[in-house]
Amino acid sequence: MAKDQEYNVQAGEPVGVIAAQSLGEPGTQMVLRTFHLAGVAATIATSGLPRIIELLDAKKMPSSPIMRIHLKESYSKSFAKADEVAKKISEIKMRSIMKRVAENFASGKILVILNEQSMQAVDLTARQAAARLAKELGVETKVGEHGNIIVNTHTKNLKDVRAVTVKITKAIVNGIEGAGKAMVAQEKGGEFYVEAAGSNIEPVMQVEGVDPGKIYTNDLFAMYRVFGVEAARNTLALELKKTLEDQDISVNDRHISLIADAMTADGTLQSIGRHGLVGKKESVFAKAAFEETVKHLINAAAFGQIDYMRGVTENILVGKQIPLGTGSVKLVIKRKETKKKEK
Amino acid sequence: MQAEVIKQIKFGIFSQEQIRKLSVAKLTVPDTYNEDGYPIDGGLLDQRLGVIDPGLVCKTCGGRAKTCPGHFGHIELVRPVIHSEFAKIINMLLQATCQKCHRILLNNDQIGVFKEEMERELAPETTPAEASADKHSEQDMLKKLKSVKKCPHCQTVQEKLKFSMPTYFYLGERRLKPDEIRDMLAKVSDDDLKLIGVDPKTSRPEALILNSLLVPPVDVRPSITLETGERSEDDLTHKLVDIMRINQRLEQNINAGAPQIIIDDLWELLQYHVTTYFNNETSGIPPARHRSGRALKTIAQRLKGKEGRFRYNLSGKRVNYSARTVISVDPAIDIDEVGVPQAIAEKLTVPFYITEWNLEAAKKLLERTEYPMVINIVAQDGKRKRILDTNKEELLKEIKAGYVLERQLQDGDIALFNRQPSLHRISIMAHRVKVLPGKTFRITYPATAPYNADFDGDEMNLHIPQTLEAQAEAKYLMAVQNQIFSPRDGNVIIANGEDGVIGLYMLTQDGTSLELEEAEYLLGAAGIRELPKAERDGTYSGKAIFSMLLPKGLNFESQSGNDVLKIKDSELVSGVINKKAYAAGGSNKLFAAIAMQCGFEELKKFLATSSRLAYAYATLSGVTIGVKDYLLTDEMRKEKEKMIAETEGKVKELIAQYKSKKLEPLLGLTLRQSLEQMIMVELDLARGKAIQMLVKNTSSSNFAMLMATSGARANVLNLEQVSMFLGQQATREGGRIKRGYYTNRVVPHIPRNDSSAEARGFVGSSYSDGLTPIEMIMHAVGGRGTVIQKGLLTQRSGYLQRRLANALQDYYVTHDNSVRDVNNNVIETIYGGDGIDPTRVSFAKQKKE
Repeated sequence: MAKDQEYNVQAGEPVGVIAAQSLGEPGTQMVLRTFHLAGVAATIATSGLPRIIELLDAKKMPSSPIMRIHLKESYSKSFAKADEVAKKISEIKMRSIMKRVAENFASGKILVILNEQSMQAVDLTARQAAARLAKELGVETKVGEHGNIIVNTHTKNLKDVRAVTVKITKAIVNGIEGAGKAMVAQEKGGEFYVEAAGSNIEPVMQVEGVDPGKIYTNDLFAMYRVFGVEAARNTLALELKKTLEDQDISVNDRHISLIADAMTADGTLQSIGRHGLVGKKESVFAKAAFEETVKHLINAAAFGQIDYMRGVTENILVGKQIPLGTGSVKLVIKRKETKKKEK
Repeated sequence: MQAEVIKQIKFGIFSQEQIRKLSVAKLTVPDTYNEDGYPIDGGLLDQRLGVIDPGLVCKTCGGRAKTCPGHFGHIELVRPVIHSEFAKIINMLLQATCQKCHRILLNNDQIGVFKEEMERELAPETTPAEASADKHSEQDMLKKLKSVKKCPHCQTVQEKLKFSMPTYFYLGERRLKPDEIRDMLAKVSDDDLKLIGVDPKTSRPEALILNSLLVPPVDVRPSITLETGERSEDDLTHKLVDIMRINQRLEQNINAGAPQIIIDDLWELLQYHVTTYFNNETSGIPPARHRSGRALKTIAQRLKGKEGRFRYNLSGKRVNYSARTVISVDPAIDIDEVGVPQAIAEKLTVPFYITEWNLEAAKKLLERTEYPMVINIVAQDGKRKRILDTNKEELLKEIKAGYVLERQLQDGDIALFNRQPSLHRISIMAHRVKVLPGKTFRITYPATAPYNADFDGDEMNLHIPQTLEAQAEAKYLMAVQNQIFSPRDGNVIIANGEDGVIGLYMLTQDGTSLELEEAEYLLGAAGIRELPKAERDGTYSGKAIFSMLLPKGLNFESQSGNDVLKIKDSELVSGVINKKAYAAGGSNKLFAAIAMQCGFEELKKFLATSSRLAYAYATLSGVTIGVKDYLLTDEMRKEKEKMIAETEGKVKELIAQYKSKKLEPLLGLTLRQSLEQMIMVELDLARGKAIQMLVKNTSSSNFAMLMATSGARANVLNLEQVSMFLGQQATREGGRIKRGYYTNRVVPHIPRNDSSAEARGFVGSSYSDGLTPIEMIMHAVGGRGTVIQKGLLTQRSGYLQRRLANALQDYYVTHDNSVRDVNNNVIETIYGGDGIDPTRVSFAKQKKE
């Protein structure tokens, strides 16, 4: 029991609906406000209503994923050490560092002409890129005289050579796939950590210097996979809260908590909508009244399902009082017992 | 109050026999009315199916149009057809059973496991998580049945079964006819069906192949008579006529021994008509159309979507005892009152339940002949009679306990007041009725906030609760004064603003001193008939006057920034009443203190009296704005022009640096992005400076500035945009405006590749000076963006809210403070971790302090 009785919620209070309204009502005020806030937009992250929808949909990957990677003590003290880790993580694609590719179908070799300027910008040497490329594609590579990469496909089949070329342009030459650009950032306490504009935490945890227990990502499913439902719940609540705060919308934590708890109550991550919480409801009527009316009725008939009339929608449909709030109060006297007493 | 209760509703499929039993008429004539305009016997409007025309008598029940509920009929189809909506399920069943022995394609061991899991799933000690795990494994097993090659019971090798939308089944290459499918399904045993999850008692699958088609009563598909006297039939009737016509033709052809190909074609056509009868949006087939070309609305279309039976007629209903009109303000009424026009009050009624104890009062009420009088009388049997001069005497004698009088609405009655969109629960609140002259509903300014209402033509709805239970619930749970704190964040939502704030802000300034007459006038306006203690010179301080409104025994102290507000023993000792302390929002701690220390009634009273005091003082001191409040002095204009020139210079310099590649890029951005970023910062800085300049150079008697600083209305930015300059116009993407005309410029008047301030949407003119043509375009670009954004956003957030509400509506707090759904699954062990009501969070916080 909670300690402070005086300000507790009353039994029967439909807190679910209140939470839903508390999040839905300010929806129209969102984003419109960012108009007035011209100016500093350092990271162009999804924000406002689109982000909220994305979270409640429990999307497999956020549209702007971010990782915050904390480092082991021996790495977090100096910028150089931290930068070392960031370089290992930062994802660089061949496309971003090359000028063009030239295929020699006669010899089965492919010449990749690199862009020195962009190579410098990301601090990558041709040798490193070549080595990684060899590993990624399982081909033989070497660095040519002018600092370009020569790929030997060991085939003269036109199609096969072209296939390798296509792969080269898409290949990763540094870092971890999906990790995005990683940069060193500094905490208020002075510790260095790495921030990346992508999310793929499993391989990042393996990187030397990374503290595997202290990785945060805004990708709910990654948190769920790696750290479990509770972590996913907390991430969800935190992300919702942050998004709302960004928009200067105050919503009590209780509502956000309830939504996060509802979405994770059965041990998995479920979305708000026909594929998630609503779709998994027990009541045929509740599902039919929401979306895909005919489908739910047909299924109910084919299997001979029963609607036990326990929820809100079902009872409204038939004109009964809903079982919440003042409608949740029932008289609980067993007839038999009262009869005995009368005797 | 509920005598009979629906405990559960079971779904199922009508079997052939059930249909024939239920049917009162076998329909054979594919037509509706004969030449005389009477329903044809055996036709689709057969009088045994019920009657809708006044005057006719139902041949089944003898009832008339109003009393006959309608009766089902049926059509005997000469060849069976598949119920298309169930085609997927038929496919699933065929896949799951053997093509020869029709047993389920599970071996005996698997069946054992399956039964065990099903039992466990239903056992009371099983947790929901375990049950759903079992269900999953069952479903997995069923899914695998598709790929079983050989029947484990009779060892028959299974042929490939193909299903193609909407109703075609093939076994190998051979098309399965509906009668074959029916025979296959009929041979599946009840026990096997149970394993698949089908309840064989109510849902034998062979009933999914239709031999006879149930025809709904006429009441379900009434024909309408147009003004021209022409009859127009319902879409369903049209469709049924089609079905019967083809059915008849098919029968004739079969009897005449027509070639198989013709019979098959007609059979196919019958299937099409039956398919579209159930769902005229079935994918893969063209929708059946009306003569006019409009697609017919058949059964599925009647149920589906926003305008369907479920959402339009069952989840929400039209109601009586309600009124709607335009709203307007009335500062003279209480915040929990609603002004109701006399005309509406005379029409709406409130029940007066007669008991043996109030019979005399009831008679007196009934005798009345003007305004609050009785309009209707409801006898014990529920019959309602209108009171007329002719029957009054008689009724006076007749009434006794158990009768209900419906009397006209009067002051003090409870009414629910609502404004759409009803986005949260405080969009409907309970008010006390106050009957007023005029034609509009009246509310106070503070009560507009939860409704998000204003008085520019908004209309609102009024509902009168009819039972005593409903009235009590409304009065105690929904009353306006109980909604002062928002359930969203626990902050004050019902509070004064605008004139209310500026009035008190000026009144409670340290220097405000008032003569006796002024003090009397002000307190009189607030409804107070006492005077505070006078100062030594016989005047009264503003603070003392304000203190007269504070409820007895109030102590309060708050600090935000440098502003200290201190109330000691109901005396405003120090501080100024401004927006932060007094208007809606999280910074208003005063209201919570009053509610905690003195109660909600006192808070309500304080709100009303302080508003009136504020309006009176604002009027007395002549709060007004004019053009002169927005005019710049010559020095300021010069300074502003200098500043804009400086800013533009800086932007030009940045561009020059960029062009000569001397610009140092920002971390993580390209050179181009860095330039944009730096320019934007520079332009933003200019506006900041302008605001500072304005604040510094405006006199304290400038009402436009006073409004902004007190928080009454508008902010300094608005003021700055009127008198200094507008600043950068934003686009939806958040950057500067760069497109519109081709070659990356907004208008042809701008040179190519010009990324200077004015070329990309910086407006250096003010609203009062007027904009240059190009600036005007830039401003319009920004404005258009806002409009588009708003439309997009309301749609998206509306759907989000619908989804949220549907997903979370079954959760409530139980007596042990846990949150559960209606099936008793725990969602949270203690609501919010501490069980505290969100509307009382600020109370709990203050108590801790």
